[in-house]
Amino acid sequence: MRRIVNYLFLWSFLCASAIAANGAWATTKDLLDPEKAFRFSARVLDAANIEVQYQIADGYYMYRERFAFAAAPDSVKLGTPQIPEGKKKIDEFFGEVQTHRGTLKIVVPVQTAADGKVDLTVTSQGCADVGVCYVPQESRVQLAMLQGTAAAGGFSTSGGADPLSRLLSQAEPKPASAARGDLAEDTRIAALFTGSLIWLLLTFFGFGLLLSFTPCVLPMLPILSGMIVGRGKISRAHAFALSVAYVLGMAITYALAGVAAGLSGAMLSAALQTPWVLGSLAAVFVVLALAMFGVYELQLPAALQTRLAQTANRLPGGQYAGVFAMGVLSALIVGPCVAAPLAGALLYISQSRDAMLGGAALFAMALGMGIPLLVMGASAGTLLPKTGPWMEAVKRFFGVMLLGVAIYIVSPVVPLPAQMLAWAVLLIMSAVFLRVIDPLPLHASGVQRMAKGVGVIALLTGAAYLAGALSGARDILRPLSGLSVSSELVPAPASAAQPLFTRIATGAELDAAIKAAEGKPVLLDFYADWCISCKEMERFTFSDAQVRQRLSRMVKIQADVTANNAEHQALLKRFRLFGPPGIIFFDKKGNEINGLRVIGFQNAEKFSGVLDEVLKF
Amino acid sequence: MLLKNVKSRYKSLLFAVVAVAAFGAGLWFNGSRQTTTPEASAAAALLALTLPDLQNKPQALSQWRGKVLVVNFWATWCEPCRKEIPVFVKMQEELAAKGLQFVGISIDNVEKTAEFARNFSINYPNLIGSFDTVEISRLAGNHRRVLPYTIILDRSGNIVATEQGGVTRDKLLNLVKPLL
Repeated sequence: MRRIVNYLFLWSFLCASAIAANGAWATTKDLLDPEKAFRFSARVLDAANIEVQYQIADGYYMYRERFAFAAAPDSVKLGTPQIPEGKKKIDEFFGEVQTHRGTLKIVVPVQTAADGKVDLTVTSQGCADVGVCYVPQESRVQLAMLQGTAAAGGFSTSGGADPLSRLLSQAEPKPASAARGDLAEDTRIAALFTGSLIWLLLTFFGFGLLLSFTPCVLPMLPILSGMIVGRGKISRAHAFALSVAYVLGMAITYALAGVAAGLSGAMLSAALQTPWVLGSLAAVFVVLALAMFGVYELQLPAALQTRLAQTANRLPGGQYAGVFAMGVLSALIVGPCVAAPLAGALLYISQSRDAMLGGAALFAMALGMGIPLLVMGASAGTLLPKTGPWMEAVKRFFGVMLLGVAIYIVSPVVPLPAQMLAWAVLLIMSAVFLRVIDPLPLHASGVQRMAKGVGVIALLTGAAYLAGALSGARDILRPLSGLSVSSELVPAPASAAQPLFTRIATGAELDAAIKAAEGKPVLLDFYADWCISCKEMERFTFSDAQVRQRLSRMVKIQADVTANNAEHQALLKRFRLFGPPGIIFFDKKGNEINGLRVIGFQNAEKFSGVLDEVLKF
Repeated sequence: MLLKNVKSRYKSLLFAVVAVAAFGAGLWFNGSRQTTTPEASAAAALLALTLPDLQNKPQALSQWRGKVLVVNFWATWCEPCRKEIPVFVKMQEELAAKGLQFVGISIDNVEKTAEFARNFSINYPNLIGSFDTVEISRLAGNHRRVLPYTIILDRSGNIVATEQGGVTRDKLLNLVKPLL
């Protein structure tokens, strides 16, 4: 009887958390996201063919006639795609149409230039049986073709592709406009995650595993295991099952925290992007990092902690519900001990704005944390690594990572030399702590040599950044570019030297500028100091020669909305933007060109395409 | 001993229940906050739209303000969309005098839309929409960006109802009648 009650308790808890999580998606009925309804992937088949695959979910179908393929760069030539016959159907308006369900494989013949790189874009249209269709979807993939194997034009399906090219391919599904192909980028970040969900979960799982080896978790394990199993003698299988219940309790608690982080991100991310918030966030990370270096102990208030510990101790061991509840509580107790990395993970998730992703990621992390416990439960305590100084190393590793995140967070609002200096300091200091300067002992172990190797790399990279900061490098990815005198150096990005844009601040100024531009198309760029994509556009796109040449035929206006005052808000509202980045185009008569907006970062090639469209108006 | 055991069990249960309740409350609060504002901004954005009609003349949606407006996002290639169009044509004919106005926004090219409008003798305006236009329906609740999607606005320009997927005559009549 008691057993049954325990089980019921466990199940009701599971259901409760599921319902809570479910609330987040209640508004979207039961329809799948288009990326999930039509799962896109692509791989290199041989030297002359790409295989595109759509995994179509049950109850969904795609139109055979409505696929479109495009490739970049221009040197790539596509042959006629081989789309298998679908199910035929007479349509009163279009005549015969064919639809596909299940797995659809399309072979696309490709001729590439010397480097073999292909940027393939597939536009597709599909519907659901419940009676809705999706707006045309654009899926993009970057592939590297195999060189010089099969003859061009051959459709031989010679088995698996080269693993390297498979690794290089990253599906990036995106919605598109029907009229002009996709030009909006707001889903770029979300898509980044959907493409590599497995990797993300594995990463979090790995982090969880690492976390369990930090000094405040590992020594707890034998005690925990004792608590879980209780006093009585029980079988190994039972001990293992109890450990599973405990880990599940912990994992679900963390998952709920992840869901909360995802949801709060959805609301906060807009507010988060100001220098003050970015600055204080970075400060929090630095403080957390100090805890990892042992500057102070991060803990819940002692009173609360003993309270929780007492409650946990009083819980009866050896029973599923009790053990499960212990897992929940332990997430709250051990939580603060691993709080620094945990807070980092939560912040990362809140940036992704995805509640489901947040829950899944933290669940994976908690499972990782639970692995040693499960091993212990199964082996009755014989199979556990010994505690030792290496655990301090794990802790310090997290500290360095947290400092890196802090620098990354403030990077949009800090001058480039300061950023480089910060990276240099972090890298060089880490290297010194890895004993790069100290000679290796005569009979050094492999691990010691590895550490030294990593340290030397960190030292050299740090030195490069130091040199970059001192020599005035303009690109964080090329710290030594300030030293070179090569001719390929592009003109300095639009900044103080020669402003590319006319600055405006109010709606009236904008109208005047558009009027003054009579006869020329107008580009209006919304910019803010804290806007990362804006900076990227400046650094990588506006500086490009091709883009520059096209821009020279336009009037370029920039609204700097860093201050976000009432005038700025009115301007954003006028264009239905929530904030920068956003680029809006006007035709020669001063009317906004619908459907050509650029939201988010675009590379020079793509942006040139948009500009060409604009110049046609 | 047994009594103490039971007591501590209750305590832990209480702990768990409170934690779950707090999460639930938080989620609910978030949910209710998120749904109220976008609706109003969707209505404003929709009525601020100006789109080309089938003769490529710009048409402002605000010209139908004051009528009960049924805005239908569709496309010619979308079978479920086409099924409901005869219903719309009939209702437009019957209820135009009472102040009902259908407006189609076609996420498609002009030629196909015009041909379809002729074939099905569509008696209400059709405009050509783009990706940005679909974004507005997303604000109104069309999170998956699907077609057909229908938004019903009352005479003062408030969104009264939205329909994802095809809608029947009875359902639409029930929604529209109280507004007329």
